[in-house]
Amino acid sequence: MNGFLLYLVLNTLVVLAIAPLFVSLIKKVKARTQGRSGPSVFQTYYNLAKLLKKEVIYSPNSSRIMRVAPIVNMAALLVAALFVPLVFVPEPLGGIGNIILFLYLLALAKFFMALAGLDAGSSFGGMGSSREMSISAIIEPTTIIVFAALVFVFKSLNIFDMFATSAAAGTLATPVLILLGISLFIILIVETSRLPVDNPETHLELTMIHEGMILEQSGRNLALMELSAAVKLTLLMAILINLIVPFGLMTTFTLAGLLIAALLFVVKGSILAGIIGLFESSTAKMRFFRLPSLFAMAFFFSTLIIIIEVFA
Amino acid sequence: MGAEFFLLVLLLLLAGIAVPLATSGQDRRISRTAAHVCTIAASAVLAAIALFVLVTGQEITWTAYQPFGFFSIAFVIDRLAAFFLLIIAAVSLCVAIYSGEYVEHLEGGSRRNLLCGCVNLFILSMVLVVASANTLSFLFFWELMAASSFFLVMYEYTLPETRKAGIFYFVMTQLSTLFVLLGVILLYAGTGSFAFSLIRSPVSPLIPVAFLCLFLGFSIKAGIIPFHKWLPYAHPASPSPISALMSGVMLKIAVYGLVRFLLDVFTPELWWGLLILAAGTASAVLGIIYALKEHDVKAMLAYSSIENIGIIFIGIGLSVVLTAVNLPVLAQISLLGALFHALNHALFKSLLFLTSGSVVHATHTRDIEHMGGLSHVMPYTSALFFVGAVAIAALPPLNGFASEILIFISFFSSVSAVDPLLKVVMFIALSLFALTSALSAACFVKAFGSIFLAMPRSEESAKAREVPFLMLLGPAILAGACIILGLFALQLFTLAGFAVPEPDMLLIGVLLLVMAGFTYVVLHFTASREVRVSETWGCGTLSQQPSTEYTGHGFSEPIDIIFSSIYCTRLKNERMFFDEKNCHFREGVAEIRLLKVFEEYLYLPVSRASLRVATAVSRFQNGCLDTYLLYVFFAVIAVIVYLGWFA
Repeated sequence: MNGFLLYLVLNTLVVLAIAPLFVSLIKKVKARTQGRSGPSVFQTYYNLAKLLKKEVIYSPNSSRIMRVAPIVNMAALLVAALFVPLVFVPEPLGGIGNIILFLYLLALAKFFMALAGLDAGSSFGGMGSSREMSISAIIEPTTIIVFAALVFVFKSLNIFDMFATSAAAGTLATPVLILLGISLFIILIVETSRLPVDNPETHLELTMIHEGMILEQSGRNLALMELSAAVKLTLLMAILINLIVPFGLMTTFTLAGLLIAALLFVVKGSILAGIIGLFESSTAKMRFFRLPSLFAMAFFFSTLIIIIEVFA
Repeated sequence: MGAEFFLLVLLLLLAGIAVPLATSGQDRRISRTAAHVCTIAASAVLAAIALFVLVTGQEITWTAYQPFGFFSIAFVIDRLAAFFLLIIAAVSLCVAIYSGEYVEHLEGGSRRNLLCGCVNLFILSMVLVVASANTLSFLFFWELMAASSFFLVMYEYTLPETRKAGIFYFVMTQLSTLFVLLGVILLYAGTGSFAFSLIRSPVSPLIPVAFLCLFLGFSIKAGIIPFHKWLPYAHPASPSPISALMSGVMLKIAVYGLVRFLLDVFTPELWWGLLILAAGTASAVLGIIYALKEHDVKAMLAYSSIENIGIIFIGIGLSVVLTAVNLPVLAQISLLGALFHALNHALFKSLLFLTSGSVVHATHTRDIEHMGGLSHVMPYTSALFFVGAVAIAALPPLNGFASEILIFISFFSSVSAVDPLLKVVMFIALSLFALTSALSAACFVKAFGSIFLAMPRSEESAKAREVPFLMLLGPAILAGACIILGLFALQLFTLAGFAVPEPDMLLIGVLLLVMAGFTYVVLHFTASREVRVSETWGCGTLSQQPSTEYTGHGFSEPIDIIFSSIYCTRLKNERMFFDEKNCHFREGVAEIRLLKVFEEYLYLPVSRASLRVATAVSRFQNGCLDTYLLYVFFAVIAVIVYLGWFA
């Protein structure tokens, strides 16, 4: 129990500290590929600090949903963060780490965010919510198939056990895992609203989805929304990293091990952020109604992996 | 000693029928209140009995009437029956509290007395169906349930749409009874018994046919696609408490019938399980896809009921499949998930029907496009509806998630154990199940957003007022139950003596609160506390109009387009053409029509065919005495020939 409390504090603080870094890194890589020097890698931290100092503006149409959504969103993401050990894997406790529950905590956050998008009565917010819920619905079969495949490969429903298994194996993963890694990467791109699904950079009504949904947020509420989006990105990246390249991940707690693990995680995360940045730079935004075919491709790809795995 | 209390429940319900019917001449509130009090008292006693049986496992038996050896009206309350009695009791209690106020606002004068009496008859018949100890009394009370619910649907019989819905419902419900009757007769032919007892070998070839008949009968009653059309007709037509009872409880009685026959009578085979699984998956996916398209709030909830019944059938089917491939532990988890979902759906669906009844009462419209902004004027109703929406969207830590995760877990765990071909089937079912659950979140974001958030879209919506206390109390109890069943799911299963891999939702709930508190405290100390209220930015317009808001139609448009092949939307695009002298030489209309696939390709052909047969047969009965004498003459000759031939 004590070990778990330590984990709770540690994991939450690490995820909150690292998350904005990866967001800035992706932006930096994208700027470099476009020939710009781009903002500093600490820019997201500065932005959050600036937003916290600003006032919050509510629309007179908005209800309590608008006021509680940022906090619920952040709380759901922080609880979800407990399900994904970044640097240190303790013994699971009372269903924490359950991969289905993890998925539905993300859905809880999204539910509140989408309602907040509708709350101000602006057509941008509604458009964002509608598109976000549609996309999250049609990617869901792929996500569940990939997660079922993970459960199948690791013989456990718990993310902690999966990480422990892969950390014990230590080496670079098997071909099956690499194939699953590709599917996980697609899910990461979709779930964190990146190109070619959504464009996190623009505020143009034709292209934006996630940004449209949080258009009416301001001040500290916007800071919470931005930070929780960064946390979500970090969590999905952590799942990918700790399953495919788990070396350095700690299963028993030591201070030296913690530092090494944290450092290694930051390095691996930065590399992955770079890959995401390059991937985003090399694709163009897809038309919204072209997306189902992309998702169908991802779905058949992951189903194929499973069928190969099943019959092999 | 339990039998006396059960008798007390029946007597209370009978009193609840008798009082308002006896005073049906006078339009007085007191007799209706008496009926509601009877329902509340009966539900409370029934809940106590059910909990007693569930916790102790002690069965209650009572033979009421036995004129012949093989025919008896007898009751047994075991744990399965007690569980469903608990569903009936919980929903009836809250519906009765709600009706105490709601019925008074209905039109119809002393006809409202009949409504109250009929509601009690309906509840009584459902209690008796569940408690029945043999297939004969099951069938008898099943028909009573069908008849009494028909009267309830027909309450506003003066409206043509209600009459259409009523007739539609009547035909479907009679079809259901017909198939159940056929199943029971076939079972009797196969086993020689009306008892709910396990069939032992040798298995007669009639048994699978009997199962198919019963499955068909229960599917029609439960609203499994393609036998679902009565739901979206009957629910909008009937008063809201009736919808809550029908959707929350009556559909579960069909589930009870299926589970009872599968567990106690049949030894299911693999293909039975696959059949149930396929029917469940189809209903779940199509149900929610249709629900997303619907803009009548009660029809939307009706389609969502079809989806949830589909989920329950998925759980049952999975359990049968897993039993057949010899994985009893996973099968039990899946069945428990299905039953728990039946209870949960009863709670949150009746909650949603009651609160949407309040909304319809306040705004005088069922179209969600004419609502909006109600969270400002109806804060309590909106909070209660919100609890229901979160629960039905299967979000943690509420009860909808607590039951769906059990089905998910048994899917996830079974894929590593069953044979390859079955695995592929399981993966398809699993991915469609996941799609269902994500679409239902989208559906209820749309519903809550369009009804309660942003600006009012009509004058009625702007003038709406919060409903009276009793119309909040009933739903509030249901909302409380949804929260408690979600948070304490693991503890309740342990109390009932089942070991399930349910995550500890209480822990998750506490963690959510801790993290929300942490966020709040950190913000409190680090962030600016200034708040300003200012108009939503509308691209430079002077003031924002409700017409610029995102509508419900707009919200579901992407899903409409993505799934357009399922909706079978027909786009017809015709124009008018003019020549240079402005003489028009061709014209046309543009329309987008939602094809009613099931009605046009299944229901209508069947009804046309039966009509043709009926017309052909009716020609024999022409009312002319000579013709009838001719028939008699032919019949006599036929008998003589037959006897001469074979004697």
